[in-house]
Amino acid sequence: MRYAKIAFIAVVCLVLILTVSFLGCKKEAAVEGGGMAVTTYANASDITIGFSLWTMQFTFFQNVEKGVKDACEDLGFKYVMIDQNSDATKMVQDINSLVGQKVSGIVVTPVDPGAIGPAVENARQNGIPVVCADIGKSGPINALMISDNFKGGQLAAEFLASKLNDTTKPLGLGNLLPQWTYARQRGEGFLAKALELGYDVAANIIVQNPSAEGGFDTMQQILSAVPDVAGVYFCSGREAVGAAQAIQASGKDILSVGYNGDPEEFQAIKDGVLNATILQEPYFIGYRSVEILAEILLEGKFYENVEVPVDVKLVTPENMDAIAAEILKKTGNSAFPE
Amino acid sequence: MDDFRFRKVKQNLGVFWGNFGLPLIFIIIVVVFSLSNPSFATRYNILSNFGFAAYVGIAAIGMTFVIMTGNFDISIGSMLALVAVLGSSFMPKTGGVIGVLATLAIACSLGFINGIFVTKLRIPAFITTLGMLFVFRALAFIYTNNVPVYISDRFWLYIGNGKLFGVIPFPVLLMGICYLAAYLVLRKSPVGRYIIAVGTNARAAALSGINVDNIKILVFTLLGLFVGISSIVNSANQGAANPGLMGQNFEFQVITAVVLGGTALSGGNGSLGGSLIAALIVTFLGNGMGLMQVNSYWQLVATGLVMIFAVSLNKLKFYLLGQGEY
Repeated sequence: MRYAKIAFIAVVCLVLILTVSFLGCKKEAAVEGGGMAVTTYANASDITIGFSLWTMQFTFFQNVEKGVKDACEDLGFKYVMIDQNSDATKMVQDINSLVGQKVSGIVVTPVDPGAIGPAVENARQNGIPVVCADIGKSGPINALMISDNFKGGQLAAEFLASKLNDTTKPLGLGNLLPQWTYARQRGEGFLAKALELGYDVAANIIVQNPSAEGGFDTMQQILSAVPDVAGVYFCSGREAVGAAQAIQASGKDILSVGYNGDPEEFQAIKDGVLNATILQEPYFIGYRSVEILAEILLEGKFYENVEVPVDVKLVTPENMDAIAAEILKKTGNSAFPE
Repeated sequence: MDDFRFRKVKQNLGVFWGNFGLPLIFIIIVVVFSLSNPSFATRYNILSNFGFAAYVGIAAIGMTFVIMTGNFDISIGSMLALVAVLGSSFMPKTGGVIGVLATLAIACSLGFINGIFVTKLRIPAFITTLGMLFVFRALAFIYTNNVPVYISDRFWLYIGNGKLFGVIPFPVLLMGICYLAAYLVLRKSPVGRYIIAVGTNARAAALSGINVDNIKILVFTLLGLFVGISSIVNSANQGAANPGLMGQNFEFQVITAVVLGGTALSGGNGSLGGSLIAALIVTFLGNGMGLMQVNSYWQLVATGLVMIFAVSLNKLKFYLLGQGEY
């Protein structure tokens, strides 16, 4: 009975505290004309950029990180990076930790774009502007650098159509999970362009396991569903390489296109396993994200929910060497596995 | 006589280490990081870490109960995701308070189902919860078509992100209340004694009139409840419930905290305070290394080594107490 009383009093206290503090909670502070209040700086050396990155495991993200770091060095900013380790919970903690460190601006490449809303809101309430470097966003943000995914899908369809030159031949699509709202545009662009060119995308299967093995399995499903498939497009690099290996194992003559421009894809194109890929520019995405923060923090330029599309390119065996040389010159990284 | 005095000193050291070993490790971690990085010891960072520890810390209460009965549950990561997507999708129709209560009811039901499988169908906890790990995750995917559910309800968001009087993260208070309630249940109520009895010797407990099945069902249901609270905190932190990404490796984090906290996997012996301190150790360690720019792979190495070190020091307690379990 005594403990029931204690529990009752504790619950009443909790409800009271919750009510009082909930009524007192504030929404994001907005400035006149929308957006957020940002502290501007006179000296670049006073600025620290915090970067929260999905993972350092993949080349794509290593290049984003290199771009952010190089831009910070070039612009004279201090730089702090935290790896999310592909964990959405850690990502939220990391962004809050950067706020606690009182960084001047944050660049984030989110493992789960849907999960950054409250953490970004907290940063902005503290006067820290946030730029998303690729993947996507949820809720208000200053700017989002994002590849022109729809165009990338269109380029893939155009490439397959130009090689097949026969609209009776069916195509296949290894699509992305529905949660990747922005990246899903790679598939949407492909479907729209294929339809426009008169091709039938007879199999549109989601790669449930985003990996080379997942690509291999999905390609086998496409081969079972559409045995006479003539060309396939996979919306991510590792999956595309796995799919190309499944095609090779089947002994069939099927064209394949990937997306990303990962070193594994460059090697697969060189080996004649993959026919083409759509190249994103992760280094530029990272570099430009910091430049945008510089414009906000040093010049007071207004950015609110601005989406900055980044161009994509088709890589084929014909232009591969020239593009690889360009990547090496720009980023210092080889386009091929080292 | 000398031998007697030596044993007495050993026992006192054992008692001291049993009570203060983990808190000591926690304090050392906080002091080392505070001296190494000025950003660590700020009020904001310390309070944020306490808030984030609630995610693992609250679920660790339920897992402590379950492990004390000699069982464990590896389905809680998937359960967390399923509960979050179900609860947050009901929210727009039910409103905040009813939505939270409904979410907790769903979580309890899932824990109850696990308990029924383990007790009435006599399926080992490992097999039951391994199966449910797949079932719960798949149901979360099917229900949402793998599309995250965004949360806009202010009450729900407040539970994970609110600050009491603008300072203390609300999850800290929530975690404190959960631990207080769990302490009262475990140490001051007959149910707590039954849990310990079942974990120590289920047959003897049954012979002394305790309904062992009901106690096991109760602890699995309680675990569901605490996972439900963690689920609300976590989804509120993220502003969304993602069926695929929420709760990944959650079961390992929680079981790690409970075992690190001194609860014996064989059952019977457990410590709620130990689970709490262990959850804090894991959170503060991760944050401290992140602030010090330690490479993420080295962070995993260091976390693993600290855990092994802490558990071996826990074994030291048994040696000093002369219990021969080291």
